[in-house]
Amino acid sequence: MHETKTTIGRRTLLGGTIATLAAPALLLRVARAADEPIRIGFPTPLTGPFGAEAKDQVRCAELAIKQFNAAGGLKGRQVELLVRDDKLNRGEAATRTLELIEKDKVACIVGALSSSVQLAVNEVTKARGMLYVSISQSDTITAMPDFSRTTFHEALNPHMTAGAVARHVFKPGMKVAILLADYAYGQEMAAGFRSAAAAIGGIDIVLEQKHPFGAADYSTFLPRLRAAKADVVCICNFGRDQANSIKQAVDFGLKRQSKIVVPVLLYNQRLAGSPEAFEGIIGGSNYYWTIEDHVPTAKAFNDAYRADTSGGVPSDYGAYGYAGIRLVLDAMRRAGSVDADALVHQIENAKYDTYKGPETMRACDHQAVQSVLILQSKAKAAMKNATDLFDVLAMDDGSEANLRSCADLGHVAGK
Amino acid sequence: MTRDIAAARIMPSGADWSATAQRWRVPLLTVALAALPWIVPSQALAVNILIFGLYATGFNLLFGFAGMLSFGHAAFFGAGAYGAGIALARYGVGWFGAIAIGVAVAGVLALLIGALSIRSRGIYFSMVTLALAQLVYYVAFQATDWTGGENGLRGLTVSVIHIGPLALNFLDPVTKYYVILVFVVAALYAISRLLNAPFGAAMEAVRENESRAAAIGYDVKRIKLIAFTLSGLVCGLAGTLDALHLSIVPIDTLFYQTSGLAVMMVLLGGSGTFLGPFVGAAIFLLIEDVFSIWTPHWQLFVGIVFILAVLFLPRGVWGTLAAWHKRRSA
Repeated sequence: MHETKTTIGRRTLLGGTIATLAAPALLLRVARAADEPIRIGFPTPLTGPFGAEAKDQVRCAELAIKQFNAAGGLKGRQVELLVRDDKLNRGEAATRTLELIEKDKVACIVGALSSSVQLAVNEVTKARGMLYVSISQSDTITAMPDFSRTTFHEALNPHMTAGAVARHVFKPGMKVAILLADYAYGQEMAAGFRSAAAAIGGIDIVLEQKHPFGAADYSTFLPRLRAAKADVVCICNFGRDQANSIKQAVDFGLKRQSKIVVPVLLYNQRLAGSPEAFEGIIGGSNYYWTIEDHVPTAKAFNDAYRADTSGGVPSDYGAYGYAGIRLVLDAMRRAGSVDADALVHQIENAKYDTYKGPETMRACDHQAVQSVLILQSKAKAAMKNATDLFDVLAMDDGSEANLRSCADLGHVAGK
Repeated sequence: MTRDIAAARIMPSGADWSATAQRWRVPLLTVALAALPWIVPSQALAVNILIFGLYATGFNLLFGFAGMLSFGHAAFFGAGAYGAGIALARYGVGWFGAIAIGVAVAGVLALLIGALSIRSRGIYFSMVTLALAQLVYYVAFQATDWTGGENGLRGLTVSVIHIGPLALNFLDPVTKYYVILVFVVAALYAISRLLNAPFGAAMEAVRENESRAAAIGYDVKRIKLIAFTLSGLVCGLAGTLDALHLSIVPIDTLFYQTSGLAVMMVLLGGSGTFLGPFVGAAIFLLIEDVFSIWTPHWQLFVGIVFILAVLFLPRGVWGTLAAWHKRRSA
């Protein structure tokens, strides 16, 4: 009895282990054998502090794919979006990108939120000649040595965003203080404000206060900001950090003394915060839904989104998801292929208008030259409904003059 | 009566099977690992299992065999990764030289941190290692010119590796896997030899009863320091391989979560066993990978798996299996 039991036990165990391990692999093989759609990889931080922005990016990216497929796909071939949670972790993002390229055989990669994560993705794609469209802010990715022939940046970059906001707010003779999250986003935004201040002239930057990424408590930094007695306080952080720091700065009475300015005024963070805390705060943005009044493509995009989500409006970062995917899909349609070289050729000098008015892709650094909206958060009394959050104060039209020059970015002249 | 005879007959053969498996553990594991890329969902994941399996094995050398719970092993994993990465990206050293440099940097750092931390015991030892490792993290975070800071270290992609007249395409996932496998197997063989050597027994003596080990005549401090440094070297090697695999060195490699990862993998697989850490790493990475593709709420499911493992498999998956087999054959 004993003997039989032992032997079977071990064999069953071994067989069971092998079967369990082999099952996912076998399932995948079967799935792969089915009809082959064109796949686009979309790494994004679904979990973590940028989750709200990431989820709206996925929604908008899916919308672009749905429209493309409904219009017949690429000569009948359908497109499929493979969303992967990169957990806002660079190593995870690199692994996921490798998986998407090696296993899923994607045609290109679009996505990643956060400067360092997109640089990790870019490192993997550029070594393999894979097209990558980045849709989150970074000044580094379009500069040498990170730039590559297959790297494109559809998002705004910190230099142009902070520059546009500064040109709107800064006046000669002003005193400016900066609170920045101590990582690439905060540092690049602060650099953008500094260089804009230098260009305007006569502006005194009296304080640069760093805070750690993901800080929940700002009470140690705020007294110094108040003591600086600046005319303008620039708060350079992203996601949940923005709502947290603004709320505490207002509680601290900073708004009574200084004008609070942020480089990017986030739709989702304003929703997460209160209209009272955000009231009067000025910031830049790539997109705000009310521009549909005078931009036809914004109207079409909003309408499609409304139909898709029963009445919602897309957020700024969500719109990047749509724009990034459209950039690739439109190039596929024009090229009639998914070949990386053909797509690069199509996108490199593209002039397009997919959701916010005209954009052009600068040839030397593959940066999308586009408008920056200057927004101001509304008072609660002035809001007509739950999505009526901001006034559009100005639209800083896209111009290469607002970008760092190709030579500054390390690109050889003529290319 | 029949039962007894049957039991008597099976006992030696069961023990033989177990002893044979024990003796051939490195070749057996090598065969299993050689098949891994075709078993798990992707080759990138297979490489991660190799690297983190080795990392957990290195950590287990100290935790499972010498009984010292370090919360700072990210420092050695990161030192290996940055050592190799900086050699590749900033000094244009070849891939093999970069691995050697990375391992050496990790070894020196382990010797330093080890010398400072083995003076304390128990929870104090854990805290000292955690504090020193976080110190390394912040230095790397600030030294942007060297490490790339928060953006991570880039520009170290190895596309082709030359071994004598042979030029291998390192971007090919299968080639990459087997090249890394060679290093992992070499390290595992060395660890296996070490554990079978008198030094292995000395480490376990220190783990079981420090004062008694000292009374017998062992130099406890020296054994601890050597164990700490060897453990750091192995984790450093895992770090260098990670840098080659991902072609970036993210700042997270030095963060305390990476230290926690080793603890979790070892506890999941079974501490103090040779294969446990590898099994733990494989299960951990596999469920994270599979669940997070399947649902955005993957954390919930991974959490449940962990709770179940802690409740029902306190010795870890492999540890429980090994104990069960021992009981059945005894």
